[in-house]
Amino acid sequence: MSRALAAELFKLRTTRTSWGVMLGSLGLVVIISLIAALAGDFSSADRAPGTDLMEISGLVQIFALVLGILVVATEFRHGTITPSLLAVPDRARLVMAKLIASLVAGALLGLVASAVCAAIVLPLLSSRNIATGTDTSDVLKLIAGNTAAAALYAAIGVGLGALLRNQVGAIIGALGWIFLIEPLLTLIPGFEDVITRWFPTGAANALAGTANSSDALDQVPAGLVLAVYAAIFVAAGLFVLRDRDVSA
Amino acid sequence: MAPAIEVAGLTKRFGETLAVDDLSFTVKPGRIVGFLGPNGAGKTTTLRILLGLVFPTSGTATVEGRAYVALDDPVHTVGAVLDGGMLHPGRSGRNHLRSLARASGVSDARVNELLELVALSAAADRRAGGYSLGMRQRLGLAAALLGDPRVLVLDEPANGLDPQGIRWLRDFLRSLAAEGRAVLVSSHVLAEVSQTADEVVVIAHGRSVAQAPLAELTARAGGGMRVAGPDAARLGELLRAEGAEVSGDGDRAILVRGRSGEEIGRVIAGGGIVISELAPIGSSLEEIFFELTGAEGGPS
Repeated sequence: MSRALAAELFKLRTTRTSWGVMLGSLGLVVIISLIAALAGDFSSADRAPGTDLMEISGLVQIFALVLGILVVATEFRHGTITPSLLAVPDRARLVMAKLIASLVAGALLGLVASAVCAAIVLPLLSSRNIATGTDTSDVLKLIAGNTAAAALYAAIGVGLGALLRNQVGAIIGALGWIFLIEPLLTLIPGFEDVITRWFPTGAANALAGTANSSDALDQVPAGLVLAVYAAIFVAAGLFVLRDRDVSA
Repeated sequence: MAPAIEVAGLTKRFGETLAVDDLSFTVKPGRIVGFLGPNGAGKTTTLRILLGLVFPTSGTATVEGRAYVALDDPVHTVGAVLDGGMLHPGRSGRNHLRSLARASGVSDARVNELLELVALSAAADRRAGGYSLGMRQRLGLAAALLGDPRVLVLDEPANGLDPQGIRWLRDFLRSLAAEGRAVLVSSHVLAEVSQTADEVVVIAHGRSVAQAPLAELTARAGGGMRVAGPDAARLGELLRAEGAEVSGDGDRAILVRGRSGEEIGRVIAGGGIVISELAPIGSSLEEIFFELTGAEGGPS
C-alpha cells in the first residue's frame, strides 16, 4: 500500500494541473483576504470580523473537490489508468492509494489556505483598529475545520471521479450540485434546515465553522456527516470500477 | 515447466459482439510467439484480459499459472507494452516512469538506465505531450522493462517506429528471449514478426486459425514449382542429385523448391523428359496470412 501511495503522491506532484489547482486557489485566498481585510467595511453589529473573513479560506474546499476528481478521472482521460493498473492490479488498492493521497493533498490545501488567510486577515484588521472578535481557540477551530472539510471534499472527489470517470462531466456535475441544485433546493419551504444540517455543502460549512445558521450542526457531527458522504461516494466508485473493463 | 503464458478457452463478449471466441494457446519461456491477426481480430482484447484489465466472459488467461491480478509481484513478472498514448501530456517521460517505478518498488536508477537503453535520456525531462509516436512506444517499452520481467507482452510494438527502430526492436526481443524470457508480440503485419518469432498464433474474428512454429507456416507458404507428368519421378531424382529440394509422393507429380521454372526447364530438356505441367504454386507468407484470416487486401 505504501508503494501505491508513494506513486499517487508522486503523480500529484508531477503535473502542472494539480499545482495549478492548489496554487491558483491559494492565490485567490490571498488576494480576496487582502482586499477584504484592507478595504472591508465592518458594521458595529459584526461581533467577529476576523472569523467572518476567515471564511474566505473555505473556497479551497471546492478546489480540493476538483483535485480529488482529477486524481481519478485524469487517468481515464489520458489512458494512464492502464499502466497504473499494471503496476497496481488490485483496483481497491489503487483507489485507496488515490483516496489517501487526495485526503493528504486536500488537508494540506485547507491547512495552508486557513493559515495564510489568518496570517493576512487578523494582523491587518488589528492594524486598522478593528476588533477581530476572534481568539486563538477560534482560529485553531477554523483552521482545523477547513483542513478537515477540504480533505473530505477531496475524498468525495475521488469517489465521484471513480463513479463517473469523465473528468469534465464529474467536475460540472459537482459544481452544478454545489452552486445550482443545493441553492435551489433551499427554496423549498421547510427544506432549508435539512440542507444546512444534512447536505454536503451544509455539513462542510458547519465543519469549517463558517455556517451562518443556528440550525447548523456542531463541527464534529458535521464532520461525520461529510465523512459518511465521502465513504458512500468512494464505495460507489469502487463498486463501479471493480468489474469494469479498462479498454483504453 | 509451466507455460509462461496460458490462454485457455478464452471468450469475451462485448454486448452482441464476440471479440474473443474460445481462444487457447501457450507461450513457453525463452520463446517469442507472434500473435497475428488483422485489426479487430481480438488481439488487444486478449492481451488486456491476460493483464487483468478486461474481464473474460469465460475461460482463463494466466501468467506462470496465475491470473495477473493474483501475481505477487506483477511488474517483476510481466512487462507489457499496450498501444495508445497512455501518458499524461503534462508529465515528463522520466516522471511517468518514476511514478510507475514507485508503485512497484523499482529504483530511480533503473529508470535512468532504461531511458538510456531506449535512447530517450535527452527527451526524458520534456513534457510527454510533445513526444512522437515512436518516442511514446520506446517509453512504453522502458515501462515494460522496469521490473526486469520474465514475461513480455507487446501489443503492436512496431507501430510508429521507423525501419531502424523496428530492426532495433527485433534484435532486442531476440536478446530478451535468449535470456530465457517469454515474449508474446502482437501484430497485424506478418512481415514484422516473421523474422523474430519462433512460432505464431494467428487469429481471425476472435478465433485461432493457425498455431504453428513459424518454420512450418513458412514451409506451407514457401512456394515452389509443381511438375507433373509421366516422368516426374525421374525428374525428381535428377533435380535431387544436383541439390534441389524435391518433395511429393505421387510418381506423377513432384514439388520442387529452390529452382526457378527455367532452371527446371533446362533439366527437363537436358534429360529428354516428358512433362504435362510446370507451374508455380504456394504463396507468400502474406498470402497465407490473408488466406488464414480471411482478410481482404484492402485498407484496414
